[in-house]
Amino acid sequence: MSLFEEMQQAIIDGKAPVVKELTQKALSEGIKPADIFPKAIVPAMDEVGRRMRDCEFFIPEVLIAARAARAATDILRPLLVGDAAARPAGTVVCCTVKGDLHDIGKNIVAMMLESAGFRIIDLGADVSAEKIVDAVRAHDANLVAMSALLTTTMVNMKSVIEALAAAGLREKVKVMVGGAPVTESWARSIGADGYGKDAPAAVDLARSLAAA
Amino acid sequence: MSGRERVIAMLDGKAVDCLPVMPITMMFAVDQIGKKYYEYATDYHVLADAQVLTAETFDFDHVSAIAETREAPDCGAVVEYFDDQPPSVVESRALLADKSSLARLEIPDPLAGPRMHDRIKGIALLKERAGGGKVVEGWIEGPCGASADLRGINTLMLDFYDDPSFIRDVFGYTVEVGLRFARTQISAGADIIGIGDPAASLVSRKIYEEFVWPYEKRLVDGLHELGARVRLHICGNTRHILQGMGSLGCDIVDLDSAAPLDEARAAMGPDQVLLGNIDPVRDLRDGTPESVYAAMAECHRQAGPRFIVGAGCEVPRDTPAANVHALVCYAHEHAP
Ligand code: B12
Repeated sequence: MSLFEEMQQAIIDGKAPVVKELTQKALSEGIKPADIFPKAIVPAMDEVGRRMRDCEFFIPEVLIAARAARAATDILRPLLVGDAAARPAGTVVCCTVKGDLHDIGKNIVAMMLESAGFRIIDLGADVSAEKIVDAVRAHDANLVAMSALLTTTMVNMKSVIEALAAAGLREKVKVMVGGAPVTESWARSIGADGYGKDAPAAVDLARSLAAA
Repeated sequence: MSGRERVIAMLDGKAVDCLPVMPITMMFAVDQIGKKYYEYATDYHVLADAQVLTAETFDFDHVSAIAETREAPDCGAVVEYFDDQPPSVVESRALLADKSSLARLEIPDPLAGPRMHDRIKGIALLKERAGGGKVVEGWIEGPCGASADLRGINTLMLDFYDDPSFIRDVFGYTVEVGLRFARTQISAGADIIGIGDPAASLVSRKIYEEFVWPYEKRLVDGLHELGARVRLHICGNTRHILQGMGSLGCDIVDLDSAAPLDEARAAMGPDQVLLGNIDPVRDLRDGTPESVYAAMAECHRQAGPRFIVGAGCEVPRDTPAANVHALVCYAHEHAP
């Protein structure tokens, strides 16, 4: 098995300490930090996403894999600062909306986006429109990813989009939404730029929105 | 037949005049009496008023003491209260953020813990006001859900791989808490104990069978020894664990809408009483009386005669009364 394959396997198996060791080994062998994303982390997390879709992986497996991926990204991020070729794919402000405390799905989406090379500003759960607007401005974000698990809090996504518009930021950011009760047509009706049914879809969506 | 006789006859495998009906209501119930959920959560008089009025208005066969977790706060967890939605455990300040504190936790006395005691008093009041004609349902948290409340659900999910022996310890602890709480609820008048174990649907079949099932089984067996009947409710998609749920020996397996009743029937055999399970939001809240009735008929067709009418989960707030009437009407107009 190549080093990249070993890393992929260790991420899929959720073995954070092994991933850390292999990342250090890769660097000591002269592998460029920016290469480790597309060759190890991204394909591994794509596979994790596939397994989640196929019900081979459930929440614990996805969370330990994401944690393992983070063991690599934590080492690599600081090394990538200033590397023009390794600019983040985009900066994403992530959160669960006001009134909603469900954060497992949001955490998974955030971790998958992070391993796909995005810079993540995770505001947590129960987040007001105002805070989101501030974070977009402060971090110069180009994406907002909002999650809601309650039919009663979904509506707050609309207020966030309105607040972004009122702050003059709507043209600057793409807004993606998700969470169990959210649907494609509802996302369209509130003026979001995209909807994703699960974490792999969130990654595809973020990639296409960031490229647009 | 009274609602009480109907439910008990169904569970005993005896003849009933029509299908029993036992939907979960919390926020919907409190809205019926024009009070805030904060009051429902903190004052058993409000809970009893809401439950009795809702059960009478819609002609349910049961009244329930169901609400948010009472065990976690009495174990010492920090809970945040809101004006008009269920209180919630504060995950960032989880009681078992440090696992070693588990060794120091005691099994709370339900009559001393304020939140548990409120439920006990609620059950006594429900028994007094409705217990003649309706089944009185108590409620406890299942091992996976209760442990998530103490440890933080995100962290608990990692513990399955990081520290299986901690999982066994904390699950064992929560089962003891649950049984002690249930014993007092039964003394206060509960005929049925509902177990809510929402987080159990988030794990794989392998983890469910290895870790969750044995403790749910211990709980179900313990409740039976105490003389109660048992309703198990696991929110979310349980398709992968139906077989396990069916082999716990519960009197009622109450399924969420993501798990089709025909699959449950195939997995659990002809004798298991199934309860459910129209989609609470899409079918019940957003449907019409006609579509609710039709969706219920489809559930009944899939479940067969050992069946109790209900929604997949809590009846959402803002569900039109006519839709809830339609659900009950289906039950009243059909024998098993
Ligand atoms: C865990 C849980 C809780 C925990 C949350 C803990 C936490 N830290 O998250 C606690 C106990 C706090 C809780 C509380 C409540 N809950 Co709750 N909860 C659940 C449960 C069991 C699991 C949710 C979950 O994590 N799913 C797993 C994740 C991975 O799925 P997901 O979030 O959908 O995310 C995926 C996709 O949707 C997508 N995605 C998610 N976000 C985003 C964002 C973007 C941008 C994109 C593209 C994609 C995307 O990707 C994710 C990964 O594939 C569900 C029932 C169930 N089993 O589904 C109920 C459920 C969500 N809860 C519900 C309710 C009603 C409540 C309460 C009101 C009380 C109650 N009656 O139980 C309170 C409300 C508290 C509050 N104010 O938020 C209902 C919601 C009904 C509705 N439609 O409105 C559910 C469906 C249960 C039910 N059947 O009634 N709950």
